[in-house]
Order: sequence, then structure tokens, then C-alpha cells
Amino acid sequence: MTANLVSLGVQLLVLSAVFSKVESLRGWSYDQVLFIYGFSLLPLGLFNLVSVNLYGFSEQYIIEGDFDRILLRPVNPLAQILCSSFGTGGINELILGGAVMAYAGSRLGLDIGAAGFALLPLLAVSAALVYTGVFLGLTALSFWMEDRLGLAPPVYNVIRFSRYPVTIFSPLVRLLLTFVLPFAWVAFYPAAWYVGGEQWERVALLTPAVGGLTFGIGYLTWTRGVRRYTSTGS
Amino acid sequence: MDDAGTPLIRVRDLCRDYSVSRRREGVRGGVVDLLRPRRETLRAVDRVSFDVASGEMVGYIGANGAGKSTTIKMLTGILTPTSGTVDVGGLVPWRDRGHYTRHIGAVFGQRTQLWWDLAVVESFRLLQKIYEVPDADYRRQLGRLDELLGLGEFLHQPVRKLSLGQRMRCELAAALLHAPRLLFLDEPTIGLDVVAKESVRTFLRDIRESQGTTVLLTTHDLGDIQQLCRRVIIIDHGRVLYDGDLEGLRARVDDRVALHVELREPVPSAALAAATAGLPVQWREAAGLLHVADFSRRDVRGAEVIKRVVNAQAVLDLRLAEQSIEEIVRGIYRRGDAGELP
Repeated sequence: MTANLVSLGVQLLVLSAVFSKVESLRGWSYDQVLFIYGFSLLPLGLFNLVSVNLYGFSEQYIIEGDFDRILLRPVNPLAQILCSSFGTGGINELILGGAVMAYAGSRLGLDIGAAGFALLPLLAVSAALVYTGVFLGLTALSFWMEDRLGLAPPVYNVIRFSRYPVTIFSPLVRLLLTFVLPFAWVAFYPAAWYVGGEQWERVALLTPAVGGLTFGIGYLTWTRGVRRYTSTGS
Repeated sequence: MDDAGTPLIRVRDLCRDYSVSRRREGVRGGVVDLLRPRRETLRAVDRVSFDVASGEMVGYIGANGAGKSTTIKMLTGILTPTSGTVDVGGLVPWRDRGHYTRHIGAVFGQRTQLWWDLAVVESFRLLQKIYEVPDADYRRQLGRLDELLGLGEFLHQPVRKLSLGQRMRCELAAALLHAPRLLFLDEPTIGLDVVAKESVRTFLRDIRESQGTTVLLTTHDLGDIQQLCRRVIIIDHGRVLYDGDLEGLRARVDDRVALHVELREPVPSAALAAATAGLPVQWREAAGLLHVADFSRRDVRGAEVIKRVVNAQAVLDLRLAEQSIEEIVRGIYRRGDAGELP
């Protein structure tokens, strides 16, 4: 829990270190980037409440064969897996994210209005669905591969890029983060609407659709994997 | 799930293949495996067909790796078969899993269904919620199970503190809390001592009589089968070798017997073989006072063998032993082909 807080603090320090050297990143000010960072912690926090169950999945459920027990019960298998334990670190991220957004927002003199405020939970949940969909899909691959591929940690590292405005990256990286590994939608696109102006509205409002689609693809991979489940020897 | 007259479980041409990668050796082999894995297909269950009527208790037996567990896992909906059909009261286990699992209970002897750190009664409460058992039904069923299994003494202990015998009693109770019509047991007595085994068997007899539960059970312990099941299905290399009642099994094999001979003076077994020359009798390699002759009663009468032995040697004692059910089954595994059975 403290390790989690320390790592969040370090990330904030890095952010202010970068901006002590430069005025802005391609037109994005420190406060704007800070707000985006704060927003990014909301879906991450939501996702981290359940993500612990996905990281150990292959080990515990496939290799050990515990998935048998899950399939014997009349409750959706994914729901059983995701609810089997909760990562309390996610709560830290939610609180800190809210605080950072409030701080950055007040420095920007931001007024997000009632509608903006009401949409915040929807956008955060949609963005969390992007995370869940991506990592669910990766987790489901363990139904096909006996050996752990270890794709999740490198993909998890890509999340860091998603906290910066994607406009600072090359067009290729932008394309990848938008359509292939859609992490641009977990922070920048929805948050840009609040701090970047009207031009981002249409993209931001696509977030629920992207979240739904990503989760849908992840879930489809999962259900196909469940059908392939081979259990263990005895 | 209720339809009297027609079988409760109908299995037709059930097959399940496994694809196994054969690893190459060494670091270099590991790299090659990554690029071009060697895969081969193994058939664990091969065109298995059988029916089980409602209320039947059927033993499903076979050697290690014969395909017992794989069959059970397909019947419980855990595994999807490669081909073939399973119909349980109109439901397909792996397709209608959410609905189907409400009607079945399962105990896998090697694996717990309970929550390791929770008290037994907490696990039961969770299962009550998961299976949406009404409070009144839950209390009645738990009372009945407690009466039969004597759970009271450890109901409030965490599962990890229980002995294997206690845990198995809890597993059985957990599998039956929602009063399923159909119960699957995979090695329910594995690792249990004689007393615990006996209490599990008594319980299963009671539950079938009082609740009419249909039971399909796999086991290595033929004692389970002899005491519980009138009908047995023997499987080997994924195929059904025998499906019928236990005593019928004896009539279908050669009816082999073993004649145990105790002599006054030690002689080599060749001397005894000479005495029964011309008869289809095999003497086991032995020397000294004790000898054993194996023959089939279908080929030669016991009296004929005994007469020859008694005439040739000074015999102290004789005993004619029929094969136990275990030996018969072992013989079937060895031959591995029911086609030879008359």
C-alpha cells in the first residue's frame, strides 16, 4: 500500500521535473498535463481493484487447474474471478487522482459544469473498461499457451505513455495508442475535453464506445478461451 | 431435469483430444520449440457411449490415465468435448453451464471446493448464496447432512485445519447443499483410512435411498464399487471395455482360479509342472514348500489338477482361490481390449 503511494509520488515528481526544464509540451501546460495525469488515476484505480485477479490467473487457475471449481458454479466465471479478491491499492489511486484533478483544475481556473461533473464517472468507468478489456484479452491467451508469455508486464508499461498528451508523440505511436492498444482513451482523450477545449468533445464522448468495444473483444477472447480450457491431468 | 422413463444421462460417441507439445531437450531445443513447436494429438476419450437412468449409482473405473476424469469433466461441463454428444435431462453440460450446474453436485477428491481460510459453515453460507438456496431449504438440508455426516463438531473450524476425512465429509455436504439430482464423485475415498472410507460409503448409500440422487463415481478402490454400485463401466485407453453388473464381469472373463499348494518337502516347480503335463496349467516360478498353479476352469476341472498334484507329491494343504474383482479388472486392463471377451 505504501509502495503504491511512493510510486505515485515519484511519478508526480518526474512530471514536475520535466516541466522545470520546459514551459510546455507541444502546447500543453504543466497544469493541463497534471489534470490529465490525475484523471488517468481514476480508471487505473478502478481497474486495479480487480486487476490482481488477472495477473495471477494463469498460474493459479490454469496451471493449478483451479478453474475447474469456477466452472462448476452457476455464476459467470469471469465475475467469480474478478471478485475473488480486491486490490485495495486502487483506492489510493482513486483518492489521489481526484485530489490531483482538483488541484490542477483550481490552478487552471477550470469550471467543468454540472454536465462535465456528471459525465466524469461514466468516462472513468469507460476508460477502466479499456484497461480491463486489454488485460482480459491478454489473460485469456493463457488458455492457448501453456507457457506464460509474459505479455502483460510490457503492456502495463505502455500505460505510462497514456498519461501524456498523445499529440506529443509521432503519428505512428499516436495511431497505435488510438486504435491498436487504445490507451489514448484511458486518460488523454476523455481528459482533454475538460482542459483542451471543445475540439476534443467528439473524441472524448467516443470513450464509452471504445471502452465497450475493447471490453467486448477481451470478453469474446475470454469466452473462446474458456471453451478451450483443458484442465489438468487428474 | 425430470423425465421418468428416459435415461437421465445420455452419452453418445464422446471424444476428447488433447494436443500436447513434445519439448526438445536443452537450451537450443527450447529455442527451437518456441519457433516450431512439435505438437501431437492424444485421444483421451474415444467414442464413449452409455446411458444412466435416474436414481442409478454407477461406478466408472479405469487405470490411471484411462480417461475417467476427462469423461467426468465433460459430463460436469468443465471440458468441451472434441466430438460427440452429452444430454443430461435435456441440457448440454458445457453449453448450458450456468443453468446446468444448479442441478448437479461434484466432488473431486484431489481438490477442495471449499474456501481454505473460511470456517466450514461460512463456506456453506456462500454456497447457499451462489446456488440461491432458500433459507428454509438450506436449514433442512444442512440438518439432514449433519445428521448423516456428523459435521457439528468441526462446522466452525477453518477448512485448512480439518483432517482429510473431515474435509471429505464437508466436501460431500457442500456438493449436496443445493439438493442436486445428479452427483459426480471423482475419487471420493482417495487417501482416506478404513473408517473414514466406510462412513463416506454409508453416507452415499443413505443419500441415494433418501433423496434418490443419481450418482456417477470414479474410483481406484474397487471396494467402493463392490459396496455401492450394481453397475460398473470399465474404461481403458479412452474406450469402454465393459458396461454391466459387477458379478456379470466374472462370467464374462475366463474364470481363472489359482490353486495354492503346500508341500511336505521342498521341490522345484518343474516337478509340479511335470505332474500336470498335458493340462493347460501354469505354475508360478517358485521353489520350496509353497506353489501356485493358475488355470481357467473353462479349460480344466479343479479336481483333475488336484488329483494329479496329490498323486505326484506329498501334499500338506490345498486351497483353490477365485480371482477377486480387482484381479479380474486388472486382467481386463492388461488385455486392454474388450473385443476378446466372449
